[in-house]
Amino acid sequence: MTQLYRKKRIEIIVEAARARAIIEMIEAVGAKGYTIVPNVSGKGNRGIRDEAHLSDVFRNVMIIVVAAEEIVRRIVEQSQPLLENYAGIVVVSDVEVIRDEHF
Amino acid sequence: MDTLLQLAIGNLLSPMVLFFALGVAAGWLKSDLAIPEAISKGLSLYLMLAIGFKGGVELASNGVSGAVAVALVLALALSFSLPLLAYALLRAATRLDIPNAAAVAAHYGSVSVVTFVAATGFLGYRSIPYEGYVVAMLALMETPAIVTGLLLARRGMSETTGNRAPLLSREVAREVILSGSVVLLIGSLLIGWMTGQDGMTVMAPAIVDPFKAVLAVFLLDMGLLVGRRLHDFRAVGWPVVAFGLYMPVIGAVIGLLAAHAIGLSLGGMTLVAVLAASASYIVVPAAMRISLPQANPAIYIPLSLAVTFPFNLIVGIPLYYAGAQWLVAL
Repeated sequence: MTQLYRKKRIEIIVEAARARAIIEMIEAVGAKGYTIVPNVSGKGNRGIRDEAHLSDVFRNVMIIVVAAEEIVRRIVEQSQPLLENYAGIVVVSDVEVIRDEHF
Repeated sequence: MDTLLQLAIGNLLSPMVLFFALGVAAGWLKSDLAIPEAISKGLSLYLMLAIGFKGGVELASNGVSGAVAVALVLALALSFSLPLLAYALLRAATRLDIPNAAAVAAHYGSVSVVTFVAATGFLGYRSIPYEGYVVAMLALMETPAIVTGLLLARRGMSETTGNRAPLLSREVAREVILSGSVVLLIGSLLIGWMTGQDGMTVMAPAIVDPFKAVLAVFLLDMGLLVGRRLHDFRAVGWPVVAFGLYMPVIGAVIGLLAAHAIGLSLGGMTLVAVLAASASYIVVPAAMRISLPQANPAIYIPLSLAVTFPFNLIVGIPLYYAGAQWLVAL
């Protein structure tokens, strides 16, 4: 049976204008990779956000990182100031992965 | 010389304005009519390429003179200074706070490429020529207003909180200076200028005759966007909506007088008035969202897209043209 390894998964839904800053932070704290879902829509405390036309202003993206708990904790802490004045949702969950060395 | 009323009715009954109205109605009534995003992006690229190229060819046939340099300096001056006026008006006449007033002001110093293209369509229906370098003015006017807007916000906010807001980051600078519209406009202007009439012979079947029809299709899409945003008015507030209607007229008057002073033709004056009157809704919102996140995009986007853009398209262009005619006849 394939071995599974415990990791943390952090999901950040943020407006597209802020995605670059978040990704730079994720790389700076030592995560080995990330996944981006480029266009997500939904409703939150800034109303319905689903406008893909014209500009990125009403567009959200989802950034997913799977990493060791220590790194995910650093991402959580550094996300807080970066999300001030921006639409953003941060969710952390426990996951199991194969191929430990990828994370 | 047409009367203002004839001009207004002629404009109102042009296919481009009627298709725009169709789009607004369909968007407002929540019809599922939609132009796929990739196609609407393609149409806007086509329009910018065509207008840049035509401007370049015109420049090649009439030659580059000192007048071009004067016009380009005027473009920079307008874009830098119009936000100062807009900011003063907003702070005096509306309840917008400093970051929101500064963000809105930046939009009104910058320009709307689509409004400009529609104005060239309006001139085209009447076979009124214009100076090719006005297209270069358009490209130059997108960015400076962003700098002024951010300076206004920084000055105002450091007075109240002691915090210094970051001015134009490298990321934003690259985004606005190398924005797709600026690169394509300047690039096709240069190509048109380099290839001249020979180039026009090659390009004409694609960029001259279909131009007005493509513009009409694009305006249908713009109408859909505007129609879907119409319900956002309530969040904006009436004093701010009023600003979105009188600011373009004030800008147009300044633009007309400045263009008259540097000796532009009837067509050129009309276009400079349109540039000074129009407000950005693509480049500036993106820059403001990154550099001035305290300002609310639910104010500045509906204002420039759903108030000022339709106003300029339907009322403004014939009005500014009439003003230019009046100045020429003086």
